[in-house]
Amino acid sequence: MRSRIAYSGLIGSLLSVFLLVASTGWTAESILIGVPTSLGFVEGREGMRSAQLAVEEINSKGGVSVGPTKMLLKLKSLDIRDASPGVPVPEALLGLEKIILEKKPVALLVGPFRSEALMASMDIISKYKIPMLGTIAMSPASEEKIKKEPRKYKYIFRVCLNADFLVKYLAGTMALINKEFGFNRVFIMHQDVAWARATIDSIKKEYFEKAGWDIVEQLSYPTGSTDFSSALIKARVKKAQVILPIFDMPQSGILVKQWNSMKVTSLLAGFISPLAGPKAWNTFDQNISGAINCNYEMGSAISSEKMPLSVAFEKAYRKRWGKSLEAGHGPAPSYESVYILAEAIERAGTLDADVLVEELEKTDRVGVMGRIKFDEGHQAIYDMDPKSSAVGAVFQWNSDGTRSIVFPPALADRKIKLPEGLTPVN
Amino acid sequence: MLEGTIIYAIINSVVLALTAIGFNLTFGISGIANFGYGAFYVLAAYCTWMMTNLLKLSYPLSITISILFCTLLGALLYRLVLIRVRGQVLSEVIATFGIGLVILELFRYLGFVGFEYTLPVFIDKSFIIAGTYVDMQRILLVGTGTVLMVSLWLFTHHTSLGLAFRGIAQDERTALTFGIDADKIATLAVAFGAGLAAIAATLIIPLGSISPDEGYDVLIKALAVSIIGGLGSNGGVILASFVIGFAERFTDAYIGSHWTMIVNMASIFLVLLVKPSGLFGKQKELEERI
Repeated sequence: MRSRIAYSGLIGSLLSVFLLVASTGWTAESILIGVPTSLGFVEGREGMRSAQLAVEEINSKGGVSVGPTKMLLKLKSLDIRDASPGVPVPEALLGLEKIILEKKPVALLVGPFRSEALMASMDIISKYKIPMLGTIAMSPASEEKIKKEPRKYKYIFRVCLNADFLVKYLAGTMALINKEFGFNRVFIMHQDVAWARATIDSIKKEYFEKAGWDIVEQLSYPTGSTDFSSALIKARVKKAQVILPIFDMPQSGILVKQWNSMKVTSLLAGFISPLAGPKAWNTFDQNISGAINCNYEMGSAISSEKMPLSVAFEKAYRKRWGKSLEAGHGPAPSYESVYILAEAIERAGTLDADVLVEELEKTDRVGVMGRIKFDEGHQAIYDMDPKSSAVGAVFQWNSDGTRSIVFPPALADRKIKLPEGLTPVN
Repeated sequence: MLEGTIIYAIINSVVLALTAIGFNLTFGISGIANFGYGAFYVLAAYCTWMMTNLLKLSYPLSITISILFCTLLGALLYRLVLIRVRGQVLSEVIATFGIGLVILELFRYLGFVGFEYTLPVFIDKSFIIAGTYVDMQRILLVGTGTVLMVSLWLFTHHTSLGLAFRGIAQDERTALTFGIDADKIATLAVAFGAGLAAIAATLIIPLGSISPDEGYDVLIKALAVSIIGGLGSNGGVILASFVIGFAERFTDAYIGSHWTMIVNMASIFLVLLVKPSGLFGKQKELEERI
């Protein structure tokens, strides 16, 4: 008698679960998304976690409709280590191919960290016909390839900003510094990687040369460099007013420490990844007041009350992962890319890659970073107004450890202030 | 410009010497090439970070515990692992490298990667020396490095334990006839080496950040300096540190940072070409003579 009751209970429970599952449209099948990137780097790790957050949000609402079927999203990540010094591109490509062949994902998100790896991976991605929404690698050279051979490379999209758009923000900031303080002597320091070289070449051509700035020196550093004293001595000797750094390696934090300890009287304004997040204040012993950093996408370790979705994303990330966002590049577009993909799947009503690509091209979504639309090179369009495009944010560290957005004007909290020891020349 | 380059070249040289001195001490005495040396360096830094940030212990106490912990771990490494493969060079290298790899990659796996993993400077002040700003941490580093190297010399030349160290280094069999316990000395040599790696980490890391990759870099640097100086020679390590330290900074300042690695490799190549045993090395010379 007792066993009969137990059996009835068990069958009843199973039936309830079955009915519950059926009512939510859940099936055993799920849409697998691959995240092959450099998980050892903060941009890759937080990018992956942001994508995971979006996946969980979508799944909590029942998943994605593929035609009449509701399917849940599932994320699988793989550390391809392409950002680490000394890891050759072919090794990173092996990882990318491994996740494609073994996991058979419907799409790839985040993607290679280094543009060199992205460029080399484009043929693999087109061979297997898997849409990829990249959110870290930045060289515009990939767009040129897409424009040249759109049929072959149509699967590759970029949701983060590229080096050209970064130049827009940096040039705008430099123009602001020039207008406010009369500074026109710049010392350029950059990491010797494709996207950083492209950014520097472009800002020199598009802004500094046209605006008549004096480039007192330009130095490039191999990934992994740990001493910048020689450059900082030169910057002081050559009376540079602005140091424009472009670095995404963790060791670039040493540059900030040396800039501070060597009391270099130049405004540090550019991109150094360790300066992007709120924890930088304590990391650098509360000595970074006045430094200016460009966070590539709104929502990536910076938010603005003027864009409530960016604030909501930062809060949701902190709640989910118990930590604040620290990467100024990657998290927001990674989060958005899941929604972009989910919306494209729902519009397409199928998981067929070619149909998905067509729908991805039609993306017009207002999210954390502003309005996202792709151009003909499959690059998300960035500009100055979040109503019409995606946006980045340039901020300055305040003396109380907070950050204020100073550019673009539509989002600025205040004007740029010169740190102690620096005086305007106009 | 020249004065500044010289000052930072001296600092760079002391950093290199500090980085290599522990590795060299272990090898010089016990003949064990501790390829897990870089892992001890990184382990000490992470331990200090965890104690100050998670356990909220005071910074000096955290540093002291980390150094003692690494020293103890070094001793255990010898007593539990290396003693079994003592004398088999390849096995020693594989064992120490494997253990180092596990430690470093474990930190990476556990997510100890990011800019927040750094240690604070001891005193946040800068001074002008010959027209160049130098921070207190670097001055302390040079001072402590110098004191450490002098102490090491005094220890190995004027204490009975230090003399036993040298006895084993010179001729293990003869030392045994004098009642010196070779295993005990080798245990202490590996432990002291690990402890010195920990001291170097707590002095150098505040200038940068902690990352598992640091472990590999430190090992490569320690190897390069020790090979140029002559494996096992403390004087050689100091001289080699200055050769590489100056070459790096002058190349960076006057040629370009890309060339620093090439100049490094070229100087290793040149020294080994002229003196295969390294600047002050003796072992290879003896073998060649035989």
